[in-house]
Amino acid sequence: MRAVNETFPGLFRFFFLSLELNCRSKQAIVYGYLVPFLFLVAFGSVFRAETPALLGEMGQILTITILGGACFGMPTALVAERERGIWRRYRLLPVSTGSLVGAVLASRVILIASAAALQVALAHFLYHTPLPIHLMQAAAGVFLVTASFLGLGLVVAALADDVPAVQAMGQCLFLPMIMIGGVGIPLLALPDWAQKAAGFMPGRYAVELLQLVYCDPDGILGNGFNVIALFVIGAGAAIVGARLFRWDAGRHMGRSTWAWVAAALLAWVAVGLAAAMTGHLAPALPPDIGYEAITESEINSITYVDLPGDNEFVSRVARPFRDGDGMRGMGGYARKLIDWVPGQVGDAGQSTRNLLCLAGVADVSQDLHEGEIARLVFDNLRARFGDDRLSRILAWIILYPQEGTAITTVPEFGMVRQYKEEIIRERTVLYAKKFLGRLRGKIKD
Amino acid sequence: MPELIPASVCVRDLAMRYGNVEALRGISFDVAAGEIFGLLGPNGAGKSTALECILGLRRQDSGTISIAGIDVLARPQDAKRIVGALIQAATLQDRITPRKALKLFASFYGKPAEVDHLIEKFGLTNKAEAAFETLSAGQRQRLFLALAFVNNPSLLVLDEPTAGLDPRSRRDLHDIIAEMRETGRTVLLSTHDIDEAYSLCDRIGILDHGRVIAAARPADLIRDFRSSSSIQVRTTRPLQESQLVSLPCVKGCSKMDDGWVIGTSNLNETIVGLVRGVESCGNEFLDLKVLRPSLEDVFLSLTGTVWSDRSEANK
Repeated sequence: MRAVNETFPGLFRFFFLSLELNCRSKQAIVYGYLVPFLFLVAFGSVFRAETPALLGEMGQILTITILGGACFGMPTALVAERERGIWRRYRLLPVSTGSLVGAVLASRVILIASAAALQVALAHFLYHTPLPIHLMQAAAGVFLVTASFLGLGLVVAALADDVPAVQAMGQCLFLPMIMIGGVGIPLLALPDWAQKAAGFMPGRYAVELLQLVYCDPDGILGNGFNVIALFVIGAGAAIVGARLFRWDAGRHMGRSTWAWVAAALLAWVAVGLAAAMTGHLAPALPPDIGYEAITESEINSITYVDLPGDNEFVSRVARPFRDGDGMRGMGGYARKLIDWVPGQVGDAGQSTRNLLCLAGVADVSQDLHEGEIARLVFDNLRARFGDDRLSRILAWIILYPQEGTAITTVPEFGMVRQYKEEIIRERTVLYAKKFLGRLRGKIKD
Repeated sequence: MPELIPASVCVRDLAMRYGNVEALRGISFDVAAGEIFGLLGPNGAGKSTALECILGLRRQDSGTISIAGIDVLARPQDAKRIVGALIQAATLQDRITPRKALKLFASFYGKPAEVDHLIEKFGLTNKAEAAFETLSAGQRQRLFLALAFVNNPSLLVLDEPTAGLDPRSRRDLHDIIAEMRETGRTVLLSTHDIDEAYSLCDRIGILDHGRVIAAARPADLIRDFRSSSSIQVRTTRPLQESQLVSLPCVKGCSKMDDGWVIGTSNLNETIVGLVRGVESCGNEFLDLKVLRPSLEDVFLSLTGTVWSDRSEANK
């Protein structure tokens, strides 16, 4: 215990010195901050027309930043220091090498997280990309992805004899994840086999996790498998990386090295197989194809006979706002609705479903303004999508009520209670029918 | 400054191999508390490997090492706490300053030395805030030595401490090491410089091909091996070998440039005989020098090879 207390100030100082020396290194600044910024600008120039811009790509952008810092930056620095004999000197200290490596990794987490935070801020400032819905979960997500990729970086550092070898091995990790791992090219744009292959790579789970915390109302809980996958791959790599760590350039890999590397890769295979068996490798569908495929005859097949009336207990809809009635005190709600991130996600189908969920939650919670909220949602949807496109979206929601995700609580509008998903989905269908009926002239407004 | 308790070192049957190469073949030696002990040997003899095992940088295949009674394998961190070291092929980050490096290393110990005192003692005052990459080789070596003192060590392990230094830095470093004797520290150093070992060390262990082939005080080593003294002679007219081998107590002679080196078992009798012989034939001395046996001769008689040849060949 005395020994731990004695060396702790040293580890603390070592941690801060690592941060300081990194911040004073031009190379570290360029690769750690400038290159990620260029990636952001590159993505921004391609996807700036989206509304809101880059919201659907932030998971990819952040993953690329973390991947670069953890699988290139960290091992490059570690191997360069080892080659020069810096770690030989640290090895003379009365502290385990593991503690020193831990301090280096902790400083790397801070550097990478700061680069990620900078990207979030720049995306918001330059492209008006909304901030993540779940800020705390976003921080936790960045930490998890960083820790997982640093584990991979540790394996690279252990295997590479010199800096060029780090670059080569880093590319072996980086390029497959960028090209067919869902990190650079979105999964939707990949063929089925590549989507399945991506399930065996951590990049896919990193992108999905960060995207969830960015714009999914359920956040990380929207798909807990991502967390498990990153943890398993990261922990496996970290154990192997720590086991194979070389502090001296003169020490070469033993015969068991490749067995350890195989063990680390086994974690990737295990995750991929688990994903396949639990249905997580189902082909990703383009978000718009669901409602775009809805035909006129499908819309005509929808009936409105069993709908409750607009002033009844369930699924109320207030009368339209007229000029001069001052929005009946709903101006604040209307503005909030425009800024509500789940209502603005890139997928028009999901965006509509989210807005219908809002009306559904207001209805189930018997909000004083439930009817007015439903009316605001209807007006908002019409203004955004137009009658024809909205008709198909609403028909898709009616015909496929279990698709997408459902919001079950809306604390942003003061409705903090969480309701059962099936009840909310049922209400979204009722509202979708009432709105579609109005658009098709089947219900008098 | 806390009271310093010198540490003894006990190495027993230390063996280590790299693949097919036996770097250490079961070496044993002791270093008494407060002693300066030198491991002397040509490059590749196993000196650095032995020191790295003692410092816990390498794990030996077999054998035991204890420092002040602490088993280095069983309690490496405890051993490191009382040892200061200067090792080869180790450096620091380019942008770290001597003061920051000393503060960093000091912060790992419970009772470290005063950083300012070390900066002054090792002549780094003007460079205390300079980046490591801007320091000269001598300044770097002084910083590494200061780092070795950062924990007020009982034992100092110095691997080739003067390697690559200019003559002045070398002399400064010799003074610092000599001072250590006065502070009562135990010093274990390795060198391939025979003169350095002779002038600095209380005792020397000669290492060759991974074995300690002799260990004693330098003077005792020379005396014990009874290497004969020699006489170097040059005259105006060349001497004949037959004249020299007939002199009293001569063990042999060899031609050297324009003179001779005569080995003798009794200096006085051979010199008297030589002077008479030169006078009797009307010849004149240009040079007459007595050559005392050296560590180099000891190495020659122990290994059958000339020190400088081995040292160069291994380089």
